[in-house]
Amino acid sequence: MFFHIVLERNMQLHPRHFGRNLREHLVSKLMKDVEGTCSGRHGFVVAITGVDSIGKGLIRDGTGFVTFPVKYQCVVFRPFKGEILEAVVTMVNKMGFFAEAGPVQIFVSNHLIPDDMEFQSGDMPNYTTSDGSVKIQKDSEVRLKIIGTRVDATEIFCIGTIKDDFLGVINDPTAV
Amino acid sequence: MSLLTDSPVHSSSSDDFAAFLDAELNSNSSASSPVEEDGDDEDESNDEEAEDDNELEGKSVKRCKVEMSANIHEHGSTSHTTLEHKIGKDKSLKIDICTHPGSFGDMCILCGQRLEEESGVTFGYIHKGLRLANDEIVRLRNTDMKNLLRHKKLYLVLDLDHTLLNSTLLAHLTPEEEEYLKSQTDSLQDGSRVNLFKLDFIHMMTKLRPFVHTFLKEASEMFDMYIYTMGDRPYALEMARLLDPNKEYFHAKVISRDDGTQRHQKGLDVVLGQESAVLILDDTENAWTKHKDNLILMERYHYFKSSCRQFGYNCKSLLELGKDENEPGGALASVLKALKQVHSMFFDELGGDLAGRDVRQVLKVVRKEVLKGCKIVFSRVFPTRYQAADHHLWKMAEQLGATCNTELDPSVTHVISTDVGTEKSRWAVKEKKFLVNPQWIEAVNFLWRKLPEENYPVKPTKEE
Ligand SMILES: [Mg+2]
Ligand SMILES: [Zn+2]
Repeated sequence: MFFHIVLERNMQLHPRHFGRNLREHLVSKLMKDVEGTCSGRHGFVVAITGVDSIGKGLIRDGTGFVTFPVKYQCVVFRPFKGEILEAVVTMVNKMGFFAEAGPVQIFVSNHLIPDDMEFQSGDMPNYTTSDGSVKIQKDSEVRLKIIGTRVDATEIFCIGTIKDDFLGVINDPTAV
Repeated sequence: MSLLTDSPVHSSSSDDFAAFLDAELNSNSSASSPVEEDGDDEDESNDEEAEDDNELEGKSVKRCKVEMSANIHEHGSTSHTTLEHKIGKDKSLKIDICTHPGSFGDMCILCGQRLEEESGVTFGYIHKGLRLANDEIVRLRNTDMKNLLRHKKLYLVLDLDHTLLNSTLLAHLTPEEEEYLKSQTDSLQDGSRVNLFKLDFIHMMTKLRPFVHTFLKEASEMFDMYIYTMGDRPYALEMARLLDPNKEYFHAKVISRDDGTQRHQKGLDVVLGQESAVLILDDTENAWTKHKDNLILMERYHYFKSSCRQFGYNCKSLLELGKDENEPGGALASVLKALKQVHSMFFDELGGDLAGRDVRQVLKVVRKEVLKGCKIVFSRVFPTRYQAADHHLWKMAEQLGATCNTELDPSVTHVISTDVGTEKSRWAVKEKKFLVNPQWIEAVNFLWRKLPEENYPVKPTKEE
């Protein structure tokens, strides 16, 4: 799920940036530091959309660095237990399949793939229904339900299932 | 003096927001049965379902509120506690039911619950963060086995260094070797033509063993193949790329020392194949102490001088000599023949249930054909007072199907000796029996065929 939220961060800036472009330096450093990172609380920071306020700087003793409290708006992405997500399959094997939705890595175990889908090994391993009508393989797009999430500093892991109504393949790459 | 920590300050309201959403969606997922959208369900007799519906309605109202205003503090604390209570109960229920067959990112792959203790075996070579419990490995092996046997395939685990290829650090090349390589710069432009690759980014040079491409292609028709090396992961993947540029053979089946469960040991526990269906090719017997019966020992391939030195040989390297192992008669071609024999015996010649067959037994039978009918006497090969039958050459000869004897008799076919002057050696010459040096038996063991005895003469010792 995407959220547009306000976050705050203490930014340290080297004294050489103190000048007319101080604000620009702060913002570009903020983008570099924050975009693409994860936090357990908020998930993956997709983009900074605006800076609300920059507080008064505090000079650090001994170093000359200055700490600024910065309030900024950003779009974050965080998966939730129970959420329905669309993802692209990256790897299929006898244990199940792995899929990605942006920064999120999802594993769907073969326990949580419908029983009528069977694993087929070969050059392009896949799970296929007995009548061959539905096939999950690398690059398939699937709709799945998240049953567990873990957000690390750099990665987001999820456990997914497609063993439920209206879940499974939504686009078959071979059908095109 | 470091500025490592730009300590983020989190606004508390958004924390609560995340926690709130988590709680909300958690409780939603715990209602495992799909709940119909229409709220006016007529079936009043089912109390549980009615309750669920009410809850869902209540929730959607709440969610609307969330969307409308960012201030979540207004929500009554009572609803929170009841929700949490409900989740707590669900969790304890799941612990009873779920066996946690494995984990991904430390979460159970079946129930999604966070698992605190690390159990089972890591399968990082398949995907980062994946672990499987022992029962699950057994289950997967069983289903995979059926699948594989249906395709008439077995498993083959391949070592890299000295088995399929030879690598050296660029810094360890000798001047002669560098000289030779300089004269070959043209062919080195396209390493694949001569199977010699300069890998500047890992400071290495790698030579693939002659015949390796044919070997892999033909073996892949009979086996599901793994790479298993004591090298580290980046090296293993780079070698896999050289051996399998089109990713036909080893996709997600490259096991490095980072993936093993025991130091300095290789084990089949990380291979998702049943031990009764796995064959191993490796030049290092000691790496497989638990799986000797699955092992086909390979003659070491030394292309570079540094590799020879590493094993205490001070001869010229193949590279220095501008030579290479013979393709059709070399180690890989010979072993491929043996593998074909094993494969066809396993699937076509053995009777009974497929699942009950054991490739280790088949390997023994095929090996016993190599020196069938030979009767061997050793002379001055073992130290005196050594139990002859315990010596590895004696055992090797027996495994190859020969019978070994300590006494001479007319049925003896070969005398293996280190000295022409011994009584037994002289007897062999007189009786026109084969007289060979001990390397004959080792070479036979590596190449899986009886080799011309005249190529392994016993040289007279210097004193005589
Ligand atoms: Mg080796
Ligand atoms: Zn579980």
